[in-house]
Amino acid sequence: MPIVTIDGREVDVEVGTNLIEAAKQVGVQIPHYCYHPRLSVVGQCRMCLVKIDGPPKLQTACTTQIMKDGMVVHVDIPEVQEAQQGVMEFLLINHPLDCPICDQAGECGLQDYSFKHGQAFSRFVFEEKRTYPGRERIPLGPSVMLNMNRCIQCTRCIRFTEEISGTGELGFFQRGARTEIGVFPGKELDNPLSANVVDICPVGALTSSEFRFAERVWYLDKKPSICTGCDAGCNVTVEHKRGAIRRYKPRVNPEVNDYWLCDYGRQTFRRYSEFERLGTPAVRGAAGELRATNWEAALDRVHQGLARASEGADLAFLGSGFLTTEEAFLIARLADAADSEHRSVWSEEGPARFIPNLHGGVHGTETTPNRRGAELAGLLGTSGINAEDLMRGDGASRCDFLLITDGDPGSPLHDAEVIGRLRQVRFLVVLGWASTPLTEVADVVLPIATHAEKDGTFVNSQRRLQRFRAAFPAPAGVRSGVEALVDLLGRLGPEWQGLTTAQVFDRMAATVPAFAGMTFDSLPAHGTLLDTSGAVASGDSTEPEGAHP
Amino acid sequence: MSFEPVLLRNVGRPEARKVEGYRENGGYRGLEKALEMEPDAVIELVKDSGLRGRGGAGFPAGLKWSFIPKAVDKPKYLVCNADESEPGTFKDRVLMEEDPQQLIEGCAICCYAVGASACYIYIRGEYVEPADILEEAIRDAYEAGILGDNVMGKGFKLDMYVHRGAGAYICGEETGLLESLEGKRGQPRIKPPFPAVVGAFGCPTVINNVETLCNVPHILERGALWFKSIGTDERNTGPKLYCVSGHVENPGVYEFPIGVTMTQLIEACGGMWRGRQLKAFIPGGASAAILPADKADVPLDFDQLAKAGSMLGSAAVIVMDDETDLVRSVYRLAKFFNHESCGQCTPCREGTNWAELVMKKIVSGHGKPGDEELILRICRNMGGTTLCALADAAVGPLRSLVQNFPDEVAGWLDGGGPATEPRRYFAEEVTA
Repeated sequence: MPIVTIDGREVDVEVGTNLIEAAKQVGVQIPHYCYHPRLSVVGQCRMCLVKIDGPPKLQTACTTQIMKDGMVVHVDIPEVQEAQQGVMEFLLINHPLDCPICDQAGECGLQDYSFKHGQAFSRFVFEEKRTYPGRERIPLGPSVMLNMNRCIQCTRCIRFTEEISGTGELGFFQRGARTEIGVFPGKELDNPLSANVVDICPVGALTSSEFRFAERVWYLDKKPSICTGCDAGCNVTVEHKRGAIRRYKPRVNPEVNDYWLCDYGRQTFRRYSEFERLGTPAVRGAAGELRATNWEAALDRVHQGLARASEGADLAFLGSGFLTTEEAFLIARLADAADSEHRSVWSEEGPARFIPNLHGGVHGTETTPNRRGAELAGLLGTSGINAEDLMRGDGASRCDFLLITDGDPGSPLHDAEVIGRLRQVRFLVVLGWASTPLTEVADVVLPIATHAEKDGTFVNSQRRLQRFRAAFPAPAGVRSGVEALVDLLGRLGPEWQGLTTAQVFDRMAATVPAFAGMTFDSLPAHGTLLDTSGAVASGDSTEPEGAHP
Repeated sequence: MSFEPVLLRNVGRPEARKVEGYRENGGYRGLEKALEMEPDAVIELVKDSGLRGRGGAGFPAGLKWSFIPKAVDKPKYLVCNADESEPGTFKDRVLMEEDPQQLIEGCAICCYAVGASACYIYIRGEYVEPADILEEAIRDAYEAGILGDNVMGKGFKLDMYVHRGAGAYICGEETGLLESLEGKRGQPRIKPPFPAVVGAFGCPTVINNVETLCNVPHILERGALWFKSIGTDERNTGPKLYCVSGHVENPGVYEFPIGVTMTQLIEACGGMWRGRQLKAFIPGGASAAILPADKADVPLDFDQLAKAGSMLGSAAVIVMDDETDLVRSVYRLAKFFNHESCGQCTPCREGTNWAELVMKKIVSGHGKPGDEELILRICRNMGGTTLCALADAAVGPLRSLVQNFPDEVAGWLDGGGPATEPRRYFAEEVTA
């Protein structure tokens, strides 16, 4: 592989690597605006000019591919710094100084590079700044707002709609200093991936209609997580302020969602504020009313219900695709203890979702993120009363005990008809984070953490196992599913007492072949593809894999 | 100085627009000769003649042709750049209007040499009449068997199309032209790859200026030695059209051996207008640096002008007399470049705009000492930092104004005005 020298440091790179990427490998940041690793290279912003030994003029790093040995590149030299300063000055002369009211402030390419490569004075004093009157607040579509005054004409958004979403709504209009971006006549920036243009816009020209003015970004805590909108398993950054999620941003995982996130997924955190949060366990009293109690009392009641198994009663366990693999594993162990085959996972077919990546893309077909993981962990009963029987048949009426994991708003579990069927069970335990029509009719309600408040793993539609950790702690009175279930299992036998999620996973790895040899803490950052050839996971064989639609 | 015209020999012979009339004056002998030769030999001959591109950059034409890869499984194209839009330039118009068959012959020879079976003549949209004349001439050439499936009965296939532009200076830049030809927004491409490898529609393409191609038939007919005998030296050969405009008695297109001087040109044009004095001149179109009168004896060729700090460019010679205010002139040019920047590259998009604003400030009487340095600074940040040469072109007049004519600028600063107020001549002098 060719060796290139950048600021005195040698690096061995793949043939065809461009200079920006090569420099990253030796820790040299070459500033750029129009370049994006997943978009075509246009070399327009001229911010990445560097000195290459040989050509008399400075060259753009983004358009320079390393084809053979011996290229010597200088970035940290006065000539290059002067060029960077020159470009920064050009970009700033007409850029409004409205950072105090601009949503991008704090994560703005212009701010960052001004600080690093700019100058502290302006020579543009007499002249009037170029503005685009009437183009300061243009909704390009449902998710994206354009302020043309802030645009630096990098064309990333245009190239995104041409090359990634394939929808081509955006274009350049006018010419020269009056160049502007916009949607073509009669079009609207309305595609499933449209909000990604906000992420790739280096300045505040494109902002999110939903997030606009919701929060200053420097008040946000950012934690890696996984989107629960479907089973694609897109990697996200949860950005929250004291436990209130303000937005999801895509987190790069080239194997899954690459740099992107769909518009639907971005909004799924809003479900956590759509329903009233459960704050404390509750049990049904003698008079038939639900009353708040403590965890000890609530778990005792569940334990009593479980204990009836020994009397020959039928106990059923209905997990959900929202469970982490570890929670599902623990529920399966409860079912083992109750010697019950009535175990299953509910999930639903959802709208087809697709995120492109370099290998084609990742598909989402279900409404829950982890049906596959829950089934692999042992919640797929081969016989017995399953989700279909319980929700749409007479399964509940044949059971004495049903432990069920609640869904999110809009879950099929909340249909009046389904609730009517489920309520036919003698004793109903509901684990959930929200007060829903289902918790209203339960005998015991256990408030558990949302996915942003707990550790765990999900298995996505590629059968990729991905780990995530709590972004922030659960509210007082709420436990993670693992904590609650470990406590319950501890009442049945000492070997489960006090286990953490990581320990539960490691135990699962010891017994479930698909996870053999793995440990929770050593799972790779981009997840790991499971070999499920010998394992039991239903409904996967007919799914589309990889191909671009 | 007298010179037997080569390129302009058919001017004033409207019958030469037809193949028959063109032949009467020796036309199509070059093509005939070329078709008898090996294509590579044609390229060698043109290389040997030293013919350099007449569009502005002066790149050796034969060398350009030799870059076309031989063994590719793709069609090859010739694109003739007739998007003549450099301010002050009007030579290609004359060539297309007065002698369209000469251009067709040049194109055909080039296509034969590089193995192209199609030629696009990209003509600026404003050239309605030349485009009509060309189309008529091409029709006639088809009928006469010069174009079509069997060129002059030699089994060579060639189609020729006139493509009209929609009016943008940047579409005269060769890759901007290709984008426009393909139906896209006219903005220059990243080079490399160069058009010789990836040109029109992704295929190997030669792009030559009208005048360059018009020279080719004569090289074929009379040989490289003859061609080299014209001009200043072996790097500057052949006849050259000079478009003289401005303060001379008879502005127009003049043909001379390349390397004529400003003094000789002015003399050929009947002297300075109304006997005024020469103050400055632009030797190569709006992109070239403005030279002061004391450079009037520099030979107007590629290398001597470069040495003098300017360029031959398209040989659009703009003559300015002693009553011309250079600051206002350059303001007008800055306005032009701002209007024509395509807007992709930051330095050009913002720099041409800023330059116009600074010049506007000066000519509106608000200039301050220090503005000269500001102009130079903008020029330095614009020059050599962009995808194409438009920013460099915009720098040409600006920088030369400050460097060659510091007094002109200084006079305007701090509430001053033009160095010389123009006389009111029209009313009284014209009627007198």
